[in-house]
Amino acid sequence: MRATNVRKINFSNTVAYLDLSQAITGIFLCLFMLTHTLLVFSIIFGEKCFNKVALFFESTGLAWSSGIFLTIIFLFHFLLTARKIPFSFTEQAKFWSQAKMINHQDTWLWLVQVLTGIVILLFGSIHIWVILNDLPITALKSKHLMQKGGWVYFYVLFLFSVAFHLGLGLYRIGVKWGFITSQNRLKSKKYLFILVGTLIMIDSISLLFFYF
Amino acid sequence: MSRILEINIFRYNPEDPASVPRMQTYYLEETPNLNLFIALNRLKEEQDPSLMFDFCCRAAICGACAMVINGKPQLACKTKTKDFPNQINLMPLPGFKLIGDLCVDTGSWFRIMNEKLEAWVHTNKEFDPEAEEERMENSLAEQIYELDRCIECGCCIAACATAQMRSGFLGAVALNRIARFILDPRDKRSEQQYFEIIGTDQGIFGCMGLLACEDICPKNIPLQDQLGYLRKKMGVLAVKNYLFWKKRS
Repeated sequence: MRATNVRKINFSNTVAYLDLSQAITGIFLCLFMLTHTLLVFSIIFGEKCFNKVALFFESTGLAWSSGIFLTIIFLFHFLLTARKIPFSFTEQAKFWSQAKMINHQDTWLWLVQVLTGIVILLFGSIHIWVILNDLPITALKSKHLMQKGGWVYFYVLFLFSVAFHLGLGLYRIGVKWGFITSQNRLKSKKYLFILVGTLIMIDSISLLFFYF
Repeated sequence: MSRILEINIFRYNPEDPASVPRMQTYYLEETPNLNLFIALNRLKEEQDPSLMFDFCCRAAICGACAMVINGKPQLACKTKTKDFPNQINLMPLPGFKLIGDLCVDTGSWFRIMNEKLEAWVHTNKEFDPEAEEERMENSLAEQIYELDRCIECGCCIAACATAQMRSGFLGAVALNRIARFILDPRDKRSEQQYFEIIGTDQGIFGCMGLLACEDICPKNIPLQDQLGYLRKKMGVLAVKNYLFWKKRS
């Protein structure tokens, strides 16, 4: 067959843009999370230090503006990834039986990524609502929040979900877009798990400082 | 003392209204270097002639004997029983039409797939039967051959949760084939034409990076690297289309 005879199909670039946006919003949110972790970590240098950091974001208007901006990116990222989440029962049942049959690590980890994503969607929304409704952020208010009700359990589950979702997400982006190749796959996975562990450790220390 | 293997085999004949899907257990004495292909043939000859399974080359070249062995899609002829515990469970490949017991119809699936991809060399050149074959660099020929080693056994489709969930998904075998044609200088299709085939949710952008295909492929074809390469190439092309769109119109 001749190349010129190939049927011309009406095609669109939309799917490519959606897929690219999924990766880009994901990387953006990862960078935000890493920054967020470091900013909250300032509590270990004392309440004064933490309040100074918070005041900087408050006085420049960054606290509420970036809050709203990130919420939009956060929801946008969910909508983009939702293209892949099996919402129908038929798909869920097929994925589950397949995962059980093949018992393959990366297939299981994808399930972890979806489940942590759903936890983050719910808990993240609550977290953003609670914090942005009670600006300015101060160490004392955060301590009060952590020490009442079940908030500490909420944040522990939230932080584990975020850390794993972030690590697995970066791994998946790397694999899908060819940055992680078969040569460096195992090594990349190891480094990303170290990143997940480090994130959990840093955030847990911050949590302890707020709790006690 | 050789082991007595307990081989549980999925039995169902869709042609027979009285047949019910079930697992049937067979016992077989293990011999040195026994592979599952020999084991199944012995079961059929010595114990149960009604047992259905496909085989042809017995050397991992034809891809006919692919089945799910203790949960992993593999070729029966390439699988030695000594690598398994006493109990071995055999199921037909999921995602393909069941013919009976361990037989599935991979042929129809692959025919549709190859037609969708137009998996042949597209060229404007008039074929001259007298002319010497065009030459290409040996390294390029080897690169193409590396991807051309695919035997269409269907293991990557059976292993892929995405393909199992979404029946229109092309899967690693198809994407690998496109990567092979992109490499081939004789195929004159443009990047845009390749994009039209795989730049969709059923193509490269549907891949969720689960990598079971990479981990399971009995021929060890570098599938992960083809998937990454294609996504990057198609993603860059889409961005280029966007940037130069205004110029064109």
